[in-house]
Amino acid sequence: MIGSEGSVSLLMGNEAIARGAMEAGVGVVIGYPGTPSSEVISTLMPVAEELGIRVEWAVNEKVAFDIALGAALAGTRCLVTMKSAGLNVASDSIMSAAYGDVNGGLVVYVADDPGAHAGMEEQDSRLFTKIAMLPMIDTSDPQDAKDAIVAAFDYSEEFKTPIFVRSTSLVAHMRGGVRFGPVQKIRKPSEFKRDIRRFTRASPIWCMEQHALLNAKIEKLRPIFERSKFNELHVPDKNSRIGVIASGVSWNYLKEFTARHNIKGLVTLRIGTVNPLPERKIRDLIGKVDEILVLEELEPYIELHVKAMIAEEDKHVLLHGKKEGTLPKVGEYCYDLVERALSKVLGIESAEGPSELDEATEEAMKLAPRRPLPFCPGCPHRATYTALRQALRESGFGEDEVIITGDIGCTILGMHPPFNMCWTEVSMGASIGLACGFKYAGIEKPVIATIGDSTFFHAGIPPTINTAWKKTDIILAVLDNRITAMTGHQPSPSSWFTETGEKGEPIRIESIIEAAGIKNVRVVDPYDLQQAKLAFLEALKAKGPSAIVLRRVCSLVARRMNLINNPSFVDPEKCTGCLHCVRTLSCPAMYINADGKMKIDSATCTGCGVCAQICPIVAIITGGPRND
Amino acid sequence: MIEEYNVLIASVGGQGGITLARILSNAALSQGLNVRVGETLGMAQRGGSVQSHVRFGGDVHGPLIPERGSDVLLSLEPAEALRVAKYIGKKTTVIMNTHPVLPTSVLLNETTYPEIDQILSILRKIGGNVHSLNALELAKKAGFSRSLNIVMLGAYVALGKQILTLDAIKEAMAASLPSRYMEQNMRALEMGIAKMRESI
Repeated sequence: MIGSEGSVSLLMGNEAIARGAMEAGVGVVIGYPGTPSSEVISTLMPVAEELGIRVEWAVNEKVAFDIALGAALAGTRCLVTMKSAGLNVASDSIMSAAYGDVNGGLVVYVADDPGAHAGMEEQDSRLFTKIAMLPMIDTSDPQDAKDAIVAAFDYSEEFKTPIFVRSTSLVAHMRGGVRFGPVQKIRKPSEFKRDIRRFTRASPIWCMEQHALLNAKIEKLRPIFERSKFNELHVPDKNSRIGVIASGVSWNYLKEFTARHNIKGLVTLRIGTVNPLPERKIRDLIGKVDEILVLEELEPYIELHVKAMIAEEDKHVLLHGKKEGTLPKVGEYCYDLVERALSKVLGIESAEGPSELDEATEEAMKLAPRRPLPFCPGCPHRATYTALRQALRESGFGEDEVIITGDIGCTILGMHPPFNMCWTEVSMGASIGLACGFKYAGIEKPVIATIGDSTFFHAGIPPTINTAWKKTDIILAVLDNRITAMTGHQPSPSSWFTETGEKGEPIRIESIIEAAGIKNVRVVDPYDLQQAKLAFLEALKAKGPSAIVLRRVCSLVARRMNLINNPSFVDPEKCTGCLHCVRTLSCPAMYINADGKMKIDSATCTGCGVCAQICPIVAIITGGPRND
Repeated sequence: MIEEYNVLIASVGGQGGITLARILSNAALSQGLNVRVGETLGMAQRGGSVQSHVRFGGDVHGPLIPERGSDVLLSLEPAEALRVAKYIGKKTTVIMNTHPVLPTSVLLNETTYPEIDQILSILRKIGGNVHSLNALELAKKAGFSRSLNIVMLGAYVALGKQILTLDAIKEAMAASLPSRYMEQNMRALEMGIAKMRESI
């Protein structure tokens, strides 16, 4: 990533954001993993030491933002990274920080996920700028993302305000050529002068004064944003009286459409500064056309502002977008969707393909088998849900009788067959509060919350304390695989190593739960199905809150660190082909041989031994520890 | 100057589809072409569907290939070719690996996996030229089962009328692949080329 100035490299949007931070002379980069934002920090990690940048994962996004704010108050340039859901967690501090100043630039990078690829809601974080009143630059491609970060640091420092830079999944994960600028080291002397009139909120008079100052900052920034390269107005000599406004990834589709169809007359405006918007450019465009199409994913954010400006201009302009139903509010945009909308507005016949192609495509889609995400071979969560199911059956509960609240991360995959365990998924740490709520509502059967280690540290501790405080009769199961697995194996406080690969001191989840006041706490290895089942059986019988920590390292990490066992194998003489193992565990290392008997793929099996423990005729032999 | 050229790579997590996309895109960049790569993977890194859209040319801006717009589809897994059917059109040359990766839903009898012949006949209805080969078998013959993606790269190279030169592709391979398997990977490339030449 330390390429020479002027060279062009193929970078992913998130890598370009990381490069931008290097060129902006950032001193601290901190965040919490979340698809599609995680690659910014993982890209910077290997060059951090060389460049003297402190690059870290924090326990959650609010803590990350608070640390960055502190460092920025003392004059260091800081970048905070998060996915859209993380912005909600950090928002408490961001709203308040907006009222104060920063001395070093402070940029909050948020990656939204239209299309819900990462399995969370399609939040449009542009609307956040209206609540927080903070500036935001939206990005269209990797080069643009890099430029936006470099510029955002300058704006942030000049106007002494935190600034958002936003991307979406397609931009964050798109690769494109990026021209490198110089890597800078910007270090102001570390100092922070006491000024409670600017940096505390408790006095109403000061607070309102700060509110007015924030509004004034935005007004001063408005003409500078207006002129920035992130907004481009193109007015052709012979214009067709039709204007198109595009933002984010849609700007690419518009350019591609005009190139493919050789269209020359459109007045086009690309909007990069979504707050404050380039009002003069928008009004310019309104003055030149009779119809406007707005291309933006998710909410009609720009569209509604344009509508208001058209009304103020007192001009009759036909506005096309989401309100009239030309484009959807749900899902990601793609070229064809944009082409259809543009063709409709421009009165171009869309090139309809032959219908037999569409029919065959439909047939193809129907035939393609679903690929629900399974637990990986050797995943300790597979063992946990297997033991939990055994315990529930032995306690006399049938399928779908006991509510299990799930949480964010790999642990939620227990919702899929053959486990069918988790009932709900809301937000980081919510499984515990929800479980308590079911009890408050009068559910008499046991209620179980399942949560991973990183999720527990992120937002599971306050509800654990609440559970202990109110003595709510739930079972808290912490599936501790000692890593933040789903997002790509970033260390969690439960890991025994740090981001830089040094030895770390793991923080014990059971100590936190005990300190919170839950007395009935067990720690078990989920690979030992019998022990894990007994722990669940005891908890199911106990009165009051109880907790089980199921600790076993993620099998993908174990493989990488050479901690796996020799693969297990099936004795073909004994195996009757009952396939109990396949139906119970659905392990990707298992396959069915031509003779109908189960076989284990030795290249993917990690020798966890769980299948050997459930085989009714003991036909599976575990490989045992590796000696190499 | 080329205006637009689209290669779609359909695969299952772990098959090397993303590495293949990286080799093609770096080869294109080294030839001075404008390059865009879009990837849809989401949570699907572990055994899920992965699609890489590799695009070159002056008119290319968006990360994803327009519907029916692929010049070439490299499907590293048979059923994954079905999933990307909307990107296949009459101009598309399809190269499909015939060795399936069965989803666990098939093991659980929740869904059935289509016959390879059935997949090929649907692809022939939608696409232009459709070629198939057992890339896993060839990769194993090359001495490295994970070189399946490189066998597919070889098959692609054998198509001829290339925009990317073989030298650029080999250089990009050297930059993107672990050096200790380079011999096997080069053999896999040659085997892919040879196998494809037999069928065209």
